[in-house]
Amino acid sequence: MHAILALAVKDLRQLLRDRANAFFTFGFPLLLAIFFGVIFGGAGGGGSGIAVVVVDQDSGDGAARLIADMQADSALTVTLMQDRAEGEAMVRRGKATACIVIPDGFTAAVATILTGGSMRIEMVVDPSRRAAAGLLTGKMNELGFRQFGRVMGDTDSMLAAVGGAKERVLASEQTDPVTKGLMSMMFDSIANVARRANAPAGNDGDPAGGGGLADWRPVDVVVRELKDESVRPRSSYEISFTQGVVWGLMGCVTAFGLSMAFERSRGTLLRLSVAPITKAHILAGKAISCFAACMAVQILLLAMGVLVFGVRVDSPMKLGAAFGAASAGFTGVMMLLAGLSKSEGAGAGMGRAVVLVLAMIGGGTVPLFFLPQFMQTASKISPFTWATLAIEGAVWRGHSWAEMGLALGVLGAFGLVGFVVGTACLKWTHAS
Amino acid sequence: MLKLDSLVKRFGAVTAVDGLSLEVSRAEVFGLLGPNGAGKSTTIGMCVGVIAPDSGRVTLDGVGPPTEPRVRASLGVAPQALAVYDDLSGWENIEFFGRLYGLRGRELKARVGAVLDIVGLTPRANDRVQGYSGGMKRRLNLAAALVHRPPMLLLDEPTAGVDPQSRNNILDLVRTLAQQGITIVYTTHYMEEASRLCDRVAIMDHGRILAIGTVPQLVAGHGGKSVVTVVRAQGEERTETDEPLHVITRAAGEGGVLGLRIDRPDLESVFLSLTGRSLRD
Repeated sequence: MHAILALAVKDLRQLLRDRANAFFTFGFPLLLAIFFGVIFGGAGGGGSGIAVVVVDQDSGDGAARLIADMQADSALTVTLMQDRAEGEAMVRRGKATACIVIPDGFTAAVATILTGGSMRIEMVVDPSRRAAAGLLTGKMNELGFRQFGRVMGDTDSMLAAVGGAKERVLASEQTDPVTKGLMSMMFDSIANVARRANAPAGNDGDPAGGGGLADWRPVDVVVRELKDESVRPRSSYEISFTQGVVWGLMGCVTAFGLSMAFERSRGTLLRLSVAPITKAHILAGKAISCFAACMAVQILLLAMGVLVFGVRVDSPMKLGAAFGAASAGFTGVMMLLAGLSKSEGAGAGMGRAVVLVLAMIGGGTVPLFFLPQFMQTASKISPFTWATLAIEGAVWRGHSWAEMGLALGVLGAFGLVGFVVGTACLKWTHAS
Repeated sequence: MLKLDSLVKRFGAVTAVDGLSLEVSRAEVFGLLGPNGAGKSTTIGMCVGVIAPDSGRVTLDGVGPPTEPRVRASLGVAPQALAVYDDLSGWENIEFFGRLYGLRGRELKARVGAVLDIVGLTPRANDRVQGYSGGMKRRLNLAAALVHRPPMLLLDEPTAGVDPQSRNNILDLVRTLAQQGITIVYTTHYMEEASRLCDRVAIMDHGRILAIGTVPQLVAGHGGKSVVTVVRAQGEERTETDEPLHVITRAAGEGGVLGLRIDRPDLESVFLSLTGRSLRD
């Protein structure tokens, strides 16, 4: 054990003495975590809504109600502007996803809905954010429907709209007399229903309190959030620091994965091999140093997240288990890399390629839910995925031990298989 | 002390070591010479247990094979490659290797200090090795082999690529260690070093020992005759002889001698005579 610890301490010393390795193991993941934390909004349950600029060219009641609805909607962050060109410039500069223009005549158009009119609004979108623009189109249709509901819910507005519609039908030259008569009766009936509905409840102009059609929705979508607040990240740092931690683990893998190739090419492996220790001692020393570095990088990064960026940990005990399992899994990956690296050059190239691929398919570069289905399935082979799941499970997902079991088990299996296969593939003599 | 008995090692169709047998006595400095590809490194590899022989046996004081921890603890190895860690200081390097051999506490500290002193690196002990010169790294490489007081040292070209001062220091150190009773197996391409240091020398090629003995014995047996060159006004006369003094006396009696040169056979002529003059890659 004394020799194993000596080997482990030596490797850790070397890691810390090599500035590039130390940076990519400790510094780079921290910068990454801070950068993505800031990019994704810093705080407030994963960030604010879609940023839009609204230019009101109508200035009527209808436009004012629409703007009030948009401002009240948590999915949108609204900035009001007077000038359309200024609004479009905001979109061009990437400050907003869309510029929504409410044209002159919007309020008047609300009254023509019953006779085929429509409430027209214009939306100028950033072409690089088509997905967000699609979401925005749906959101504007929802809010438009709400304006229609308001018209139907307000007796005066409804009577005016029905009266106007009746006049336009009677004046129409394309409509035959029988149809005119039937439609006239229909409009009169609607007006009577509106007056009767208004009589007992009063009419204060509040569509929400007026009953009738004010609350009518063509599709009633009930949104229910999973459990409660505790299953959502409380800030984007809780996601970005988890990703940073896993990048730190990758840094450990690349730093230690090459160490056997270095030992071989520098001749120190020969000196280790002739010492009164076994190959198992040498491998155990490497594994322990990598495991210790993995634990250290996880603890340091998350401690930074907790102390400086307000990351909160649901279960320290589960987090300890996640850290341990992730360290074991990534130590296995390191041993596999060490076993397959026949030279420094090959090891460095292979290390970069393996780490990059595992990170990409494991959600290290693009969050998993953005990846296509087949990539999400493929991500199961990446320890990045399982480490992220395990750590998130302990930090903010509120996973039970049973829910964490699969991720912990898979990481443990990565460790075991990597150690066995890597050890079997290790080459103990210098190639030359 | 060290006994190699009928060692054979093949790599595919190539026989690197072919029935090699020799014995090295306690406190002896034994030189192993041979051109590139002669089988020296394979022989050393089998001596320290990193290469398993196809047949034959290596023992140290009757105990073997050298993969046994007891045998390994008795061996100090300074590989030809500078097997030290550049990121660590000289002290940390020696301390680390000392720990691998079971040293600890005060004993470890004392031994690290002592060997760094022996190789003249105490003033730079806390500097990182990456700042050392080639000669300093060589001396540190040797110190790492000495830290656990091994009764036997295997030094593989310990003076390769060092300046004359460091080389002289290393040769003096080897001589001192031998006087302290340490057995040393020494490989080198420098014949002058082997002549100066080694009690006995073995010259090997194609995996076999071609000649073994003290340097005077090898020179007498394989070095050929001395060459006396007499320079006169009309030109040079070269005479191969076992009695150079007779040739010189005769030439002096004849008169008209402008100069004399005697080329006596040495270990290099023995080496070339046994292994040939064709280039080896």
